[in-house]
Amino acid sequence: MNPFHFDGLIWHWPIAIYLFLAGVSAGAICFAVLLKQFKLGEDAYKSGFVQAACLISPLAVFAGLGILVIDLTKPFDFWKILVFYNPRSVMSVGVAVLLIYQVALFAWLACVFKEPVLTWCQGRWSVVDKGFKALMKYEATITGLLVLLALSLGAYTGFLLSALRTYPMLNNPVLPLLFLISGISSGAAATLLGGVLLKGNPDGKEVHFIHNIEIPIILLELVLLFTFFAGLILSGGQSQVAALTAIGEGFWGWVFWGGVVVMGLSMPLALNLFMKASSKRKFSYVAMTASFSLVGVLLLRNFILYTGQMTIA
Amino acid sequence: MSNSRRLFLKGACVAAVGASGFTLVRAKEAGKNTSKPVYKYALVHDETKCIGCDACSIACREVNQVPEGVSRLEIKREGPFGEYPNQYFRFTRHSCQQCESTPCVDVCPTGAAYKDPDTGIVSVDEWKCVGCQYCIAACPYQIRFINPITKAADKCDFCKDTRLKEGKKPACVSACPTKALTFGDITDPDSQIVKVLKSAPSYRSKLDLGTRPKVFRIASQGGEVKL
Ligand code: SF4
Ligand code: SF4
Ligand code: SF4
Repeated sequence: MNPFHFDGLIWHWPIAIYLFLAGVSAGAICFAVLLKQFKLGEDAYKSGFVQAACLISPLAVFAGLGILVIDLTKPFDFWKILVFYNPRSVMSVGVAVLLIYQVALFAWLACVFKEPVLTWCQGRWSVVDKGFKALMKYEATITGLLVLLALSLGAYTGFLLSALRTYPMLNNPVLPLLFLISGISSGAAATLLGGVLLKGNPDGKEVHFIHNIEIPIILLELVLLFTFFAGLILSGGQSQVAALTAIGEGFWGWVFWGGVVVMGLSMPLALNLFMKASSKRKFSYVAMTASFSLVGVLLLRNFILYTGQMTIA
Repeated sequence: MSNSRRLFLKGACVAAVGASGFTLVRAKEAGKNTSKPVYKYALVHDETKCIGCDACSIACREVNQVPEGVSRLEIKREGPFGEYPNQYFRFTRHSCQQCESTPCVDVCPTGAAYKDPDTGIVSVDEWKCVGCQYCIAACPYQIRFINPITKAADKCDFCKDTRLKEGKKPACVSACPTKALTFGDITDPDSQIVKVLKSAPSYRSKLDLGTRPKVFRIASQGGEVKL
């Protein structure tokens, strides 16, 4: 079986990249919110890490949507998805979430960057001033809504696949949770990598904060992966066949064990623990750890998408 | 701070409950069949009579203008089984199963995949379809495809827009030289199809998925017994 071309394969890698980017966007903005709420407060916009997350989150979601539209066989008809709506379709619900998410995202970004924006305007336009004041009143609500929508978006990336009855491996209740958690960890990694590249201090409090959350998240991800495959194998039938085909020998087996488990999860976990023990974090450590996790999550998306379509109910 | 936090919590809860409630209610409404279909068209493929001549699939291509490289209907051949001179093949029909509970319709974001309320025939609205291929992935029988000319999802619709409109039977049924195919309304107890279904035991594909397909098959004695 060719790993990229086989009978039954409908959705190709662009979908995996779309799911990956949506997860990165949701995860990154969650960390920006957490950093602002718990560590940085009103000065959040000065931090390279918050800046990185605020840059990555909208760009990733735009790029993801762009890929989704280009991947349609009728890209110019994409507006019909917005006009017609099927409440039973996970995709319809997801598109609605994506749209409201973007509104909340930009409203929150305005709240975070109000100081620099207002100084830049220097009161030249009173409308801007008024607009920000009005927005500020609802900052708490916007923040809450944004986190909620980000979590929905993260889970949606999994629900999109788990709704498919055709493929026993994808039609699995653990998948949305697995995708949500791995999306959050990819958001953390993107924030860290972007942050150090934007000259954030690799030993700063932001990094310590994110790394502290990252360790339990990686552990949770390992547990979910185990549950996912153990569940499939124990339920027997085609689910078992699907699971064993996926993580057995062959190209995708290598991707799973080498790429996802070792590089994407174990190495970042080991490096995180090592950095916690050794006193000082360096640019190279932070960047390397983050890159490993990012590549790991991207591989996980591709692995699940492709191997999931290999076995039919 | 505590005040604004409480405000946010309240707002978030209301939003969450409201959004999920709305979706659930809408989904439930969509699940209800408000008007009963007037007919429920179904098809029987008698594999004991089928000789694998492909007259059905050729007629289908012709009538429905199905382009090269894709097909709405294929006859799959297995075999030969047995020893010469008693060799035989087994032929199965590969086409839309006209599910009663339709995974393809459920996932379609635009409603382009729909079940016709009058005939129970699962169809595609070419214009509404954006080509996301979600329905193609959702169909457990893997019979949907993107039509290379219209770029929309396509599949067998019992010739709904061609032969049925003219009051004729689907092209495959009329073309079959051995009368292996029977088409009709299963809600009508006097119809030919109900008689055929009562005369011999039939089976349907992948019933365990809950799709309740409306293509019935009468199994040939031939073929392997698989576990
Ligand atoms: S066989 Fe496939 S395309 Fe036909 S109704 Fe069932 S799910 Fe839809
Ligand atoms: S490909 Fe067309 S018919 Fe199928 S789910 Fe997408 S929009 Fe609906
Ligand atoms: S036309 Fe009839 S006999 Fe020939 S392949 Fe089709 S169903 Fe079988």
